[in-house]
Amino acid sequence: MNDQLLAAVSLYGAPALFGIVAIAAVGVPLPITLLLIVAGSMISQGAMNLWWAIGAASAGSILGDQAGYAIGRWGGPAVAAKLCALFGKRVSLDAMEAKVKTWGGSGIFITRWLLSPLGPWINLASGTAGYPWPRFLFWDALGEIVGAALFLFLGRFFSDRVMSLYAVLGDLTWAIAALLAAVVFGNVLLTRLRRARQVRQETVR
Amino acid sequence: MGKTWQRTVAVGLAFVLAVASTFIFASRAGRRARQMHVANEPIREWMSVPFIAHSHHLPASVLFQAIGVHPRQPYDRRSVRHIARDLNRPVPEVMAQIERALDAAAHPPGGHPQ
Repeated sequence: MNDQLLAAVSLYGAPALFGIVAIAAVGVPLPITLLLIVAGSMISQGAMNLWWAIGAASAGSILGDQAGYAIGRWGGPAVAAKLCALFGKRVSLDAMEAKVKTWGGSGIFITRWLLSPLGPWINLASGTAGYPWPRFLFWDALGEIVGAALFLFLGRFFSDRVMSLYAVLGDLTWAIAALLAAVVFGNVLLTRLRRARQVRQETVR
Repeated sequence: MGKTWQRTVAVGLAFVLAVASTFIFASRAGRRARQMHVANEPIREWMSVPFIAHSHHLPASVLFQAIGVHPRQPYDRRSVRHIARDLNRPVPEVMAQIERALDAAAHPPGGHPQ
């Protein structure tokens, strides 16, 4: 499946890129980072236009994200939960809604490119949480344009090292995810230890 | 009290695991990044012949010649799988021919590797 998608981008260029990123933005797990790097390499080889590629990748992603938001907003939590189950994701929409409320625009922006696996679920949660649409559109468009340009330029720069670059980026993504988990767990641990010390001091008194 | 401590220990273990994973993945990314310019770029069925040629700093014509294909355009976008299907030949056979051509270009008899 992934091989066919990559071959389609190679064969049809920007229109294929547009369609595939739009589908992925709704929540279908597809190798978008690799697709963008491959497209970047093709730009370097003169087989694709840079601005068409940035436009197609950004527009496709934004369209898919808006569809996800609309499903959450007007379909409600039941439809959103069904969509999560359809793609085999055990995501707690309540937890995602809490993240949307805490992080706001920066959370939407960062899940467009740095923590992109969370993107589709943040779209649904933004809709169910009633996050204002104009603000969602602004942060979504900004994040998607930055993300598309970043990976296309990386692919263009390392055009002869696409698979190696993809492996490095994969490890880096896991490292960042693990670091975020360490920060969260560290915070929870500190809070628990402080509370335990307080309880002990009160017991001694 | 016992349950609270059990939970705190579990959170502590999760924290240690997350820190260890951060270091493992970051160091692996660093090692891979350092090897990027010396490691051989793998070839895949979805890649086009010019794409493979570009990754190995060769003219695409060398690889097209090796598999006995005339490119349809200056940049023939067909994947290796697509070409194999057009030629009515098994994909592994075409891949093997490309790999042999890459190997021959990297280690020419009596010459310097490219």
